[in-house]
Amino acid sequence: MKKFFDSNNVRSALRIILALTIGLTFGFIITLLVSDDPIKAYTAFLTGPLSQLNRIGDWLEESLTLIFLGLAVTIVFNAKQFYIGLEGQMILSALASGTVALYLPVDPIIRVPAAFLAGMTVSVLWAVVPAVLKAYLGASELVTSLMFNSIALRLFEYILRTYLQLPHVNGIMSERVPEDARLTTFIPNLPFLQETREAWTKATSVSWMVYVALGAVLLAYLLLYKTKFGYEIRAVGANAKFAKYGGINVNRTIVSSILVSGIFAALAGTHLVLAITQRVVQGMAFGFGFEGINIAILTGNNPLGVPIASLFYGYLRAGSDVMERVSDVSRELVFVVQAAVLLLLTAERLLPVVQQVVTTDEEEAAHLKKGSVK
Amino acid sequence: MTIDLVLRGIFSTFFLASVLRICTPIIFPSMGGLVAAAAGVSNMALEGIMLWGAFTGVFVSANTGNVWLAVLAGCLAGILVAMLLAVAHLRFGSDRFLAGLAVNLFSSGGTVFLMFSLIGEKGNTSTLASLSVPNVVIPFIHDIPILGQILSGHPVFTYIAFFSVWVIYILMYRTRLGVHMRAVGENPAAATTLGINVHRVQYIALAISGLFAAMGGMSLSMAYLQMFQREMAAGRGWIGIAAVNLGALRPIPTLIAAMIFGFADALANQLGSLKIPTQLVQSIPFLTTVIGMAVYSIQQRRVAIERRKKYASEHYDEMPEEATQL
Repeated sequence: MKKFFDSNNVRSALRIILALTIGLTFGFIITLLVSDDPIKAYTAFLTGPLSQLNRIGDWLEESLTLIFLGLAVTIVFNAKQFYIGLEGQMILSALASGTVALYLPVDPIIRVPAAFLAGMTVSVLWAVVPAVLKAYLGASELVTSLMFNSIALRLFEYILRTYLQLPHVNGIMSERVPEDARLTTFIPNLPFLQETREAWTKATSVSWMVYVALGAVLLAYLLLYKTKFGYEIRAVGANAKFAKYGGINVNRTIVSSILVSGIFAALAGTHLVLAITQRVVQGMAFGFGFEGINIAILTGNNPLGVPIASLFYGYLRAGSDVMERVSDVSRELVFVVQAAVLLLLTAERLLPVVQQVVTTDEEEAAHLKKGSVK
Repeated sequence: MTIDLVLRGIFSTFFLASVLRICTPIIFPSMGGLVAAAAGVSNMALEGIMLWGAFTGVFVSANTGNVWLAVLAGCLAGILVAMLLAVAHLRFGSDRFLAGLAVNLFSSGGTVFLMFSLIGEKGNTSTLASLSVPNVVIPFIHDIPILGQILSGHPVFTYIAFFSVWVIYILMYRTRLGVHMRAVGENPAAATTLGINVHRVQYIALAISGLFAAMGGMSLSMAYLQMFQREMAAGRGWIGIAAVNLGALRPIPTLIAAMIFGFADALANQLGSLKIPTQLVQSIPFLTTVIGMAVYSIQQRRVAIERRKKYASEHYDEMPEEATQL
């Protein structure tokens, strides 16, 4: 039992659970302060996503997007690059994929892969400038990538308004992606699944991106831990100088880590446009800017943890949507909760209670009694 | 014809006056960022603190009817949020980038959340009768033909912004606290051995930076506009950080960098009257920031290489072999 509590994984898991609990409690306190019926609001927040099939669908759809964003950030954070240009990449790849799906006059069998490819190309290219500026000139990738996000959002709006805008509608949006280019449901077309399949297709847009997401998780894991490239990324992240003396081309590794993460960001954008919104529409990636970072921090930059963290935060996002619909509390509560969790988790010296209690073997207990910190 | 229009626009007194006004919400966070960075604790939460300042100022002014009370409250809110960052980073060891991002997330979500709870709106507070700070007419200068139109009649924040550069300069180079800040920023270990309380100095620096960022926010919501909008800082906090980078931790160069970005912003406004798509024009300030950072980095790199070469040529004999191979 002692050994169990000693393991680092268990300790950090406990730390995460504690942080999430505190975050959600904090959210509840805020709800108490602002809501006329806080119990109803918070119940909707915490149980809403499970109440109807379409809400379960919302939850899974959100989670899929988050998985791709989380993986993208995980890769750059492993190289210790504070590159946060995913929002821009995501929205531009949604634009590119959507345009191809709408207008490329070829068979759907080619059009859908072409849409994916277009998204990835745009996303990777968009990251080139901040990546190169960081690697070869040392310009802060944090600031440049944020500037590029702002530019991307405006470029997106410009192209959408000028070239794709549907006439005679309220709102800035393109035509709907033709049915044969939309992503179909993840439930296989088998006789005994027929009913489930129909119900899910009707109520949700959970597509076969489920499998792509799982594949992406595995791919990111293998890439980071089983390839030379991944080793180089982690070496640069651990200590760039040391990596350089070890013969690693640090600048090239920084650039390629950012570009590779762009592929995952593109999957998020393509998923959004071909499965969820099914058209290019203003504000489609609203509120996703920080999600990748939240997920990466929650998992300690481990790709294998990304699906779990994404399901959790996807659940909160879907729940906050339900809450806003049925109560007087706004969905932005979820960002406040996430910010609290992020602060708690990144604070190395916070939540020491857990660490002390679980590290108490006899020797350390003696240390603690004497008041010395190990 | 149209270019002509733009050029005439740029050299008009109206445009130059608008540059000063548009610079204001960039100068404030730049100065705030400068103080923090000089003390070795870059404030990555400027953007979020601006939002809280803007938000608090609007709501307090609408509820009390007192502009100065609102400004005070906005400043306090800024300091408070900066202290949240300071405690997370200094006391509990959060990475300053991540803690800064967390505070920004808290701010962009929290201000919208509160706005919705208080007035049931999510976009802006145009339904609220909030106040704006008065404009200042400088007695003598106002009557000088061109100069008066450019320099006089701005919201009081514009004057405070330029004045604050001087204040920061005095603080950094003429006061004990400023010397301590720079010592801490330069080498915290050495500062400690001199008996300087490193954390205390950094707490103070972050508090000052919160104060300035909040004023930047209020110059948006209580002068530039007369309401709070979601995400109204619109990257100005980050542009401020870029200005601090470009200014190499010195007040006057930081001011110049901030004004270049402000000029780009004003230019974008001016071009808005042409038939160029507004979205592209609005990207100009962000693009200018990236270009500015790139140019500065190239120059820094050249300086570093020169310095190394010079050192190598002077100390060729004493140096290890690999250091002489540039």
